[in-house]
Amino acid sequence: MTTIVRATGVVKRWGDTTALAGIDAEIGAGVTGLLGANGAGKTTLLGLILGLHRQDDGTLEVLGLDPTTAGPEVRARLGYAPEHDALPGDVRAHDLVRHMAEIHGLPSKEAVGRASDALWHVGLGEERFRPVGTMSTGQKQRVKLASAMAHDPALLLLDEPTNGLDPMQRDAMLTLIRRIGTEFGISVILSSHLLEEVERVCDSVLILSGGTVVSSGTLDELRGGGGAFIVEPDGRVDELAAALQRHGLEVEVLGTTRLSLNGDEIEITDAIRDACAELGIGLRRLQRRTATLEDVFLAGTGV
Amino acid sequence: MSEAHIYEQGYRSYDGPRLGVSASVRSLAIHSIRRGLGLRRTFWAKLLPIATVVIAYVPAIVFVGIAALIPDEITDEIDAIPSYADYFGNITAAILLFVAVVGPEVLCSDRRNGMLGMYLASPLTRETYLLAKVLAVVPVLLLVTLGPQLLLLVGRSLVDAGPETATDFVLVLVRSLAAGLVVSTVYTAISLAAASLTERRAFASAGVILALLLSGAVTSALVENADFDRRIYLLNLGFLPIELVQRIYGELGSEPSLTTASLVAAVAAWVLGSAALVLWRYRKLTVSR
Repeated sequence: MTTIVRATGVVKRWGDTTALAGIDAEIGAGVTGLLGANGAGKTTLLGLILGLHRQDDGTLEVLGLDPTTAGPEVRARLGYAPEHDALPGDVRAHDLVRHMAEIHGLPSKEAVGRASDALWHVGLGEERFRPVGTMSTGQKQRVKLASAMAHDPALLLLDEPTNGLDPMQRDAMLTLIRRIGTEFGISVILSSHLLEEVERVCDSVLILSGGTVVSSGTLDELRGGGGAFIVEPDGRVDELAAALQRHGLEVEVLGTTRLSLNGDEIEITDAIRDACAELGIGLRRLQRRTATLEDVFLAGTGV
Repeated sequence: MSEAHIYEQGYRSYDGPRLGVSASVRSLAIHSIRRGLGLRRTFWAKLLPIATVVIAYVPAIVFVGIAALIPDEITDEIDAIPSYADYFGNITAAILLFVAVVGPEVLCSDRRNGMLGMYLASPLTRETYLLAKVLAVVPVLLLVTLGPQLLLLVGRSLVDAGPETATDFVLVLVRSLAAGLVVSTVYTAISLAAASLTERRAFASAGVILALLLSGAVTSALVENADFDRRIYLLNLGFLPIELVQRIYGELGSEPSLTTASLVAAVAAWVLGSAALVLWRYRKLTVSR
């Protein structure tokens, strides 16, 4: 896995408030969700990746460079769509996107063509010569996205890109972000406070809470790691539980009919097979309880 | 494969050259010049800049006309045509208006609408961003501080009322360039300083006009009524650059008691002071947390 962002012990304080309290994280290629409640430190981390602030402690590496010393070089390869409305209303969408592409180092002629392409990609091809101020919130979000990607960045930072969108627009935006991460081959860091958004489009997740990383990894790892086995025997629940405990497993009795087991998958399934054979107990149900991102999030943040 | 299918081919990555920060600065400067002049924007955004430019050039056109139509002996006698240095006196209002409008338009809007955050997320830094803004405002102001003089010079030369020798012509040209640069630089600094203090364009514009008019009124009152040393005029922002322009053209100006060196020092102090204020304001600014 290529590492796009590597943070080691990153601390950032704003006056008396500690926004990031020593973050260790590695963000690879693909779409990564930066998940956390408002005030968890997401935007601060994005700001540090962009080299807009200097961390108080620790090191940060973005695309192999240090953003505090090589800010312009790093930012030339990044695209950033901020959370809040950040567009001049009286400028035409195409003029704006083209201008931002030029600012990021594209020659004028390339910038014109790529601005059109980017606006077509976000679905504003027909509207590209309209002043941004006359556009809907959803269209403005897409203009921001177009201006962040027109220069073909290596990494796209999207801060709450679905803010203010209705369900249909949100759906379209998430589909587009997924396409950018897969088809377009641009790595994306998607900052969001919405679990289902991250779950839908991201390959991996970095969960922040109160300025610390509470969990990180690929979506599969996180879900699997938090999962448990549910066993429902056709009777004699307590006997089975005792037998499994003798095998050295952590067993929890759920109600009067079910058991919950945590641990290594193969070990658990082997133990269940052996215990059932020993005791002559039949199984009604053996199921992996898949954790949702919500479980991971709640377990991690301790809410 | 035909070009018509380009969008079905999906995303095109870019492997071409990426220009450095100087290209970013140039692009921002050009974009800001357009904004300042209202180009590619609505009619109302264009109105004030265009009207101001017209006001600045009309006297030059009229003077060239007078020079063309009326014999030299008569114009000299009634003093109909101002000297190149005095021309600034004819278009003070236009310059004042332009200074008050352009600086705030170029600097305040980005903070108000959030574009500053987008720019600082690009290869630009706070310093290179401000450099681009200076490179935008100075040439826009040259439109009213240098353009009319050039028109006057070329126009009068064409109707045979200009400098008599080529050397004189070049001398006037160089002096006009220097004068235009001095006035533009001072007023760029002042208007950007005012614009750095507020994100409301109207407040910044009012601030610039007040600073220019009040500094004149207050310093005059202090000299006339409170017997202050005339050097206090160095604080008069409406007077200072125009007086230095007189010296550039080799004339005495309206306050001969002030040395040219003191004028140069005062101009430098105003420019550096304003630059320091703008830099301090922007370094302090937190863009996104």
